[in-house]
Amino acid sequence: MRSARCSPNHVRMNQLQGKIALITGASKGLGRAIALAFAREGAALALCARGEPALQAVASECRLLGVEVLAVPADIANPADRERLVSLTLARFGAVDVLVNNASTLGPTPLPLLVDTDPQAFEDVVRVNLTAPFLISRSLVGAMLLRGSGVVINVSSDAAVNGYPGWGGYSAAKAGLDGLTRVWAAELAGSGVTVVSVDPGDMDTEMHRAALPDDDPTALALPEYVAPAFVRLAAGGALPARLEARELLEQVAR
Amino acid sequence: MIAVETDFPQLPPALRASQPAERRGIRRDQVKLLVIDRKAEAVHHARFDRLGDMLSPGDLLVVNTSRVLPAGVRAVRASGQAIQLRPCVRRAGSWDALCVQPGPPFENIALAEGETLRIGETIVTVAGRRTDIPLLWRLRLDTADDLELILRHGEPIRYSYVPEPLPLDSYQTVYASHPGSAEAPSAGRPFSWELLAALRGRGVGLADVVLHTGLSSFQDDAFDAEHHLFEEWFEVSPETARAVNMAERVVAVGTTVVRALESAATWEGRVVPGRNWTRLSVGPERPPRAVDALITGLHEPQASHFDLLRAFVPEALLRRAYAEAVERGYLWHEFGDSALII
Repeated sequence: MRSARCSPNHVRMNQLQGKIALITGASKGLGRAIALAFAREGAALALCARGEPALQAVASECRLLGVEVLAVPADIANPADRERLVSLTLARFGAVDVLVNNASTLGPTPLPLLVDTDPQAFEDVVRVNLTAPFLISRSLVGAMLLRGSGVVINVSSDAAVNGYPGWGGYSAAKAGLDGLTRVWAAELAGSGVTVVSVDPGDMDTEMHRAALPDDDPTALALPEYVAPAFVRLAAGGALPARLEARELLEQVAR
Repeated sequence: MIAVETDFPQLPPALRASQPAERRGIRRDQVKLLVIDRKAEAVHHARFDRLGDMLSPGDLLVVNTSRVLPAGVRAVRASGQAIQLRPCVRRAGSWDALCVQPGPPFENIALAEGETLRIGETIVTVAGRRTDIPLLWRLRLDTADDLELILRHGEPIRYSYVPEPLPLDSYQTVYASHPGSAEAPSAGRPFSWELLAALRGRGVGLADVVLHTGLSSFQDDAFDAEHHLFEEWFEVSPETARAVNMAERVVAVGTTVVRALESAATWEGRVVPGRNWTRLSVGPERPPRAVDALITGLHEPQASHFDLLRAFVPEALLRRAYAEAVERGYLWHEFGDSALII
């Protein structure tokens, strides 16, 4: 599995030059890797996360790659914060071409069984992982439609299609996110706006370590390895409503 | 004041829409559509989602993509009194704003020249009244980033016929993408994505302008009746100017679009790209040169909005249309039904 830990050799292609991307949960893990991959391809970025120091650190790294970056500390579960994120992004860039709904939460860890899951904690997970992507997308999709182009990428999980003990709230919310993606895709068919769900696969992230502390991290892919798949998605083109990053990486490698 | 306004039928309070269509159980694009056909001098009644039937390939719909801000901003006086500031002209480091009570009935509150206010941690100094519109206060802010300030401390501006605060989302058009309006450019609110896509599919063109709206009311009936005009910021892109100049028929979605396009129009009606403040008043004495048709919400005859309608429609026909709208229970204001003047 060593190969899975190595980033593929990266040649800057400026595949996202001139595009504006909004990425939630951008301060760490997959969100950070996507932000850096997009920056290497020339995209201007609006990045959001709750923790300001980590967010500013990623923003600085991206700026060093020569792109314009707006960092908005915000909790996407909070309606006023969502409006602030959307309005500040639009005020700075005038449009969003690519929205990556990446932010998500596991809820309490160690992961409780459903029978022990606190209803409020369950709802908090749904609010971040499902409701926020719904509403942030809704705020941005109309302008994409008016221009006849745009991509919304929802970060899903294999927990959306498989039942793992302890993953109740997360799993239900991610399955909901896949459903949301399908309905968006149907409602926007032919509009030029693409909405997709992507299962990035197991990665060595803080979230994975919190969920499965006994897993061997060296056996897991680094998020940097998966991020090029998101570049491919952000570049546009016809896509099915749900895919696994693995399939896309194979396409990228060819 | 214009005499004609006084003999319109009184608008029953029940016809003031208190919430958006989707909260009344219908789709946003299923509001009523009053069609005023000027050529036939006729009034028809349709539904907004049938708009395509009344337009033709080659028509150009021009929408305002300005996004509404939560422009009712919570502030505190040195005395501790809570107030709401409603900035309607925003420049770097300064506002011209109404100052009202923080809750219904939102009556005007007089400030003192030189006094300081606080919005969160931000200090605001009252420089005085605007000489042309004395209800507006000239304020100095100790920050240039007033957008963050408004987004953190504001709520949507609300009038008394909307009894409960609604989320800002309720006020946005589906394509709202340039934050800056104090109030909703509401004529475009009934458009759904589906309807926009269907219109495009029928060969109707779509173009956009930006006009950041100011306030529709100074919370003072007598003062409002004098129709004070203040400047609003507009932007017309080269693409939109080109599309407008080539279109067979230009349909403005909202009076804000009329103001933007006419502000960018030469005397012979050619639109040139530009971005600036405008004080233009379109009315019977300054009829539209670039815009041919109009989609608009229904607003009370007393509103200054009405002057602009008189530039499009002969008074007798407009009066007949308004009477029919009241008779048939059309809903008025930003969450209400719609009218097409063609």
